[in-house]
Amino acid sequence: MNFQGCPGSRMMDMRRPAADGAPAAAPGSTPSQLRQWPVQLHLISPMAPYYQGADVVLTADCVAYALGGYHAEHLKGKAIAIACPKLDDGQDVYVEKIRSWFDDAKINTLTVMIMEVPCCRGLSALARRALESAARKVPVKEVVVGLDGTIRQSEWLGA
Amino acid sequence: METTFEQQLERPVKSVLADFPALGALLGEFRIGCVDCGVGSCKFKEIEDIHRLAPEAERDLWTRLARIIEPGRTAQLPVRERAPAAPAASASPPIRQLVAEHRWILRWAAVIPRLAAELDLNREEDRRTVLAGVDFIRHYADRRHHGKEEDILFRYFDSGLDVLQAMLTDHVAGREHVRAIEAGVAARDDAAVREHLLAYAVLIREHIRKEDDILFPWLDRQLLDSQVGQMYAQFLEADRRFDRDPRQLENFVAELEARFDAAPAAAAR
Ligand SMILES: [Fe+2]
Ligand SMILES: [Fe+2]
Repeated sequence: MNFQGCPGSRMMDMRRPAADGAPAAAPGSTPSQLRQWPVQLHLISPMAPYYQGADVVLTADCVAYALGGYHAEHLKGKAIAIACPKLDDGQDVYVEKIRSWFDDAKINTLTVMIMEVPCCRGLSALARRALESAARKVPVKEVVVGLDGTIRQSEWLGA
Repeated sequence: METTFEQQLERPVKSVLADFPALGALLGEFRIGCVDCGVGSCKFKEIEDIHRLAPEAERDLWTRLARIIEPGRTAQLPVRERAPAAPAASASPPIRQLVAEHRWILRWAAVIPRLAAELDLNREEDRRTVLAGVDFIRHYADRRHHGKEEDILFRYFDSGLDVLQAMLTDHVAGREHVRAIEAGVAARDDAAVREHLLAYAVLIREHIRKEDDILFPWLDRQLLDSQVGQMYAQFLEADRRFDRDPRQLENFVAELEARFDAAPAAAAR
């Protein structure tokens, strides 16, 4: 195995038999839990009505592809924004938008969902910076998702 | 005993332990302290859910418990098929706040034996110290801290839960000790004040141990994120409404420790 280079972009082959005997759901029959548009952090307004007092899940771009139950188990009942801490430009804008969620939208909680690859920690770091600069304190949780689609760690970072 | 292992599972753990005293040592091996637990209202089958063991340990525990209750028969074990569970989240911010308040209450409880040993209510200073202790218990431990538990945290759960009732009973018992301490100071009754101070210290240490080690982690695991956020906001609001300076109340404990040369770190574990 090649251990050189960035672990976040190292190739891994995880092919396995599809869906362990479970019958495939009829196309279009799995309900979406998305209740808003847009979702990308540069595109959203933190003052949009669906963020007011909400439980917000700030999700790294790759997470929803790795986690089989993302919609039902993590997005349900929450407002969302997505971002990539490795590739996106203008991350100071991100910090300001997250701060505005805390102070202006008066969100109830923030859950930051990231992949286990090291560069993804950057998204939690943005949330921490925003929390430090916010006047209002809100519980912030970090959920780390494994490349195999399991939850590796779930931790309240503080408030 | 003609009841089967499966029937025993539905009985209160205290009754099962009374019939099979050998179970106590086995539970102790798994650090499940039902024998000394003052609550003891859990059903036998609930002990694992409340104390949370690793899956292999859970199977091992039930196998051995079943062997004591019904030797020679293979019982149906109450091992739940758990999804490869997501690791439990660390303590949520509101629970952490309660645990931080516990540290101050434990520090106060830790100096009580020193205060009680040298107590002489004919001395003005001792009367003032004991009454300051009463003030700390009433406003910090009871109104500020137990207030958050009773008026906020416990309201997120079924108020009929025996374990919550047991916690409320402890709170009431603490208040009775405080009244007795106050009356003892007025009557300059050293023996009564000493007795109730020490009884309060024993009560509150055991109470906090149950909350920190068992109750709070169990409650925390059941809270939804949205409830954690609401509870945190309610705690902030309760602190905003609190009309005393919590630092001043905490300072009373720190000063008492300085006077008795007690090490705060040890007291707070
Ligand atoms: Fe309590
Ligand atoms: Fe407590």
